[in-house]
Amino acid sequence: MAPSILHPPVQLSPAAALALSQQAPAILRSSPSTVSSSPLNTLLSGSEKPEQWLQYENLILSCLRTGDDQAAHACLRRLVARFGNDNERVQALRGLVKEAEAPDNGALENVLKEYNQILGENDANIPIAKRRIALLRSMGRLSDAASALVQLLDFSPTDAEAWSELSDIYLSQGLYPQAIYAIEEVLVLAPNAWNVCSPTIAPDLSPMLMQRPSQIHARLGELQYMAASAPGAANGSSQKYLAEAIKRFSRSIELCDDYLRGYYGLKLVSKKLLNDGVKAAKQTDDSEFVLPDTHTIERLNELATAKLSEIVRHSAANDRGWRGYSEAEIAAARELLADDASAIKR
Amino acid sequence: MTLLSKTITAFGSLLLAHACYSAREHTALQSLRAATTATLTSSPATAASLPVDIIIETIVSTFILLLGLVLGTRPLRPLEWRVWAGKIEREGEEGFTDNAGAVDKDFMGNPFSVLESRPNFVDIRKQRREFAEWVQKGGAQQGQ
Repeated sequence: MAPSILHPPVQLSPAAALALSQQAPAILRSSPSTVSSSPLNTLLSGSEKPEQWLQYENLILSCLRTGDDQAAHACLRRLVARFGNDNERVQALRGLVKEAEAPDNGALENVLKEYNQILGENDANIPIAKRRIALLRSMGRLSDAASALVQLLDFSPTDAEAWSELSDIYLSQGLYPQAIYAIEEVLVLAPNAWNVCSPTIAPDLSPMLMQRPSQIHARLGELQYMAASAPGAANGSSQKYLAEAIKRFSRSIELCDDYLRGYYGLKLVSKKLLNDGVKAAKQTDDSEFVLPDTHTIERLNELATAKLSEIVRHSAANDRGWRGYSEAEIAAARELLADDASAIKR
Repeated sequence: MTLLSKTITAFGSLLLAHACYSAREHTALQSLRAATTATLTSSPATAASLPVDIIIETIVSTFILLLGLVLGTRPLRPLEWRVWAGKIEREGEEGFTDNAGAVDKDFMGNPFSVLESRPNFVDIRKQRREFAEWVQKGGAQQGQ
């Protein structure tokens, strides 16, 4: 089944993106090239649908990704004809097209200058501000991007997407405490988001499932490194992080039945805790979450193992009602289970 | 399922229509007879109620109609947050189809996935590069 064109196509696989962009000519043909907003025309030709404009936006994204610049330009022309050149979202999309077509760094600098100019005229232009940050990040100027993002969040502190991006930037710089802080802000804004709960403390546990399975061990190494090299006393703070991680993963499972990523993370953390040997936490601060005792962790580990193997088994059999998981995630879970099994054999 | 529910609904409405028609005919006949007897004997006729078979037919047909309509409704959505979220994760699009098999219009997957994909911050150059690499590896042939 082809993915719906009404959702942002950012996370799709290359094949799905290709399928979407191949629909572009048909969609462009089937809808009128100009839509007038005068009331008379609306009476005559029926009302325009908001979905149509969403379609154009998403088509631009996937066409640019697959290199079908002509179709992207056609979509952009229609959006400009409808909303005008000064619309903030249209400006951001035009910038996006320019970025995609920029042949070298000089052209990118020009695009950046244009963004700065637009922001100079109206510095509350959030879509352009976000594009500028994304461009800075894409050009490798991470600290510039982070400071620009902090500025943006200063006057728009309820933007969960921006907080999440900030966390990602910090993570790519290796600033774990800052990344954790930013993702906690996201959690404040979207307390029921089950996918945000899990990365909170182990920020790199979740994105790793987005990567290929082979990269997971590298990410896991990063996590261990993060836990071990956390500031302060190595052992105490790493235990604190792991305790927090257990709490977060459990919360995400509480919010979402059969959540593969939640169980995956829970298993990873509980396994690590069991391997390292749990020390009963002595501090009894009420605000701090203390590590549960070994018995509880063992039970959590068993629960996660059982659930993961159930999920893997069902999706391997391609059972009805179990086809929603992505293949990469299933493969990662299978690898983790196999790893566990071989450890027991030894 | 749809064919079954449609057949039952059609059958139920047919029965109901038949019951209505019978009731109407019956009352017409009754009033005609009452009129004729009134002229002959001038004694007030007792108001006769409907025969039992028509009443039973009406009730039964209503229930059959209800059954057909209930069978034809789309599956109910989960009420609890975690069940609903689990359904999204486990079944994906398949869990949110109507009886004809088309995905619901308002299905959007995990509504919080935006926090991870962040379409406003998309790094389009990186995506283009990755797509080009994928094509070079011959992914286009595999994908088809």
